[in-house]
Amino acid sequence: MKAHLREFIFQELIFVASVEDFSNDDDLLEAGLDSMGIMRLIMFIEDKFNVVLPDTEIDPDNVKSINTLEKWIVRHQS
Amino acid sequence: MDCTPSVMKIDKTGVLQALNPADYFTLAMDEEIRSESMPGSLCGFGFELDSMPKITLLRARIDELSQRFPLILASLQQRGNRFYWCERQQNEAIFFQHDYPEKEKSELFIQTQLESLLNHSQKRDEIMPLSFHLLHSKNKTVLLLRWIHPLCDAVGASLILQYLCTDDIEQRKQFNNPESESLVNLQLKKFSLWQKIKLFIKAKRYITTLDQQQSIIHAADKKPNKLQLTAYKLSIEQTTKINQLARKHVGLIGISLYYIGCFMRALERMNPEKTGDAYCVPYAFNLRKQRVLTPLLNNHVGVLFAQASREQVNHRSELFEHLKSQNKQVIRQQIDYAFLPIMWAASFLSLKKHGENLRLSYQHKTERSSFWFSNVNLSDLGKQSLCGTKIKGISNLCQISSPPGIALLTCEYQQQLSLNYNYIDPLFKRSFIDELHQLMLEELLTP
Repeated sequence: MKAHLREFIFQELIFVASVEDFSNDDDLLEAGLDSMGIMRLIMFIEDKFNVVLPDTEIDPDNVKSINTLEKWIVRHQS
Repeated sequence: MDCTPSVMKIDKTGVLQALNPADYFTLAMDEEIRSESMPGSLCGFGFELDSMPKITLLRARIDELSQRFPLILASLQQRGNRFYWCERQQNEAIFFQHDYPEKEKSELFIQTQLESLLNHSQKRDEIMPLSFHLLHSKNKTVLLLRWIHPLCDAVGASLILQYLCTDDIEQRKQFNNPESESLVNLQLKKFSLWQKIKLFIKAKRYITTLDQQQSIIHAADKKPNKLQLTAYKLSIEQTTKINQLARKHVGLIGISLYYIGCFMRALERMNPEKTGDAYCVPYAFNLRKQRVLTPLLNNHVGVLFAQASREQVNHRSELFEHLKSQNKQVIRQQIDYAFLPIMWAASFLSLKKHGENLRLSYQHKTERSSFWFSNVNLSDLGKQSLCGTKIKGISNLCQISSPPGIALLTCEYQQQLSLNYNYIDPLFKRSFIDELHQLMLEELLTP
């Protein structure tokens, strides 16, 4: 799951100087993930992992990093 | 019988680059504005500086920029039915200093110069696509970056300033590296022919739905004369509160929608008697990845619309809920990308026809846009100095077609939101804008 998220985020949404050095705990919002990017990311997640992510949970805690995104998705998969 | 189609020979002498579909979109608006005897699609960022920059260094960096990107010195010319960036016979200066005469009021000088430079009228193939103007008065220094929209979008213009702010030559080489083709064309290549056709039809249907409601226009029915700017910089406290309220009303995904919704409500409160059914607002989204340094020039944008009926505008919480779900639906159904095939197809129309398609409602044959809107994030610029000085404030400007004759350009910089009201006199008057701003503040700060 992390690999899919990383591929989509770095290919489509944000540019970082070194993808390898960007850890799964690093802050995506500080790296430039904006509102349009978050929308596209949520659409990607819902299609790819067959989940529905509630609007009310789109907050900085859940979209902060690759790791928090994964936890958020897993919570809604079960 | 010879059935080969006759192809008109185009003189490609001196051609540097053809325009991409998004460039044509801005060129059509340039033509619309020029047809109203106005200067065309001039845009500007006014960067207020802490002090005078090192002039020699700034000039050298601008020279280096124009050598690396010759499009900056090019002339926009029509060859056959298409438009191209072409070499000039003779390069012209693109850096100017404007010092204020002692007898003039300092504040007034900067404001007057900014407006004068944005109202500067020149033939399309003669005007320099980009120029830098250092405005200096007794207690204020502003660097105006002025460009014509077919050259680049607002993100590109901010990258140009970032280039000037970058002291390390190796880091400057990272700009526009690797070179990239038009992001609109790259996105279109991801779709098969049938997908493009389906997207095209989807976008046409979407616009037809929008056009069922006649747009509310607040501009007076008068001949446009000149662009004016009234800019307000809010405090850190106000900006923090607005961000918290935006988060509450539209969540993490809709700060632009919060500004748009508040502005719709402020306009409606100014004059609820205006005819029409709904507010309709076009706004661009950028196809670049965030924080990427390439491509530097040309336009790489798609278009979205926010529309709300008068009834929805009058109910605050319902309005934000509506704008949010409308935006989500547009992205979920790929309507944002569906406008790209339309943009590509329209680039083969005459500029006049293209402009009509962009502006006129299919159903009512009246202006589709209630106002223009743009929000730019320039927070990265605050981390660097500019040739020995710091940027302490930013205003943004753009020429507008009439109607709608009014644009709200927002920008958050160093935790302070600036609201830049660009409007065409006499369609709007300064007194109207001052009153409108007070209502806008109320709307932005209402819990």
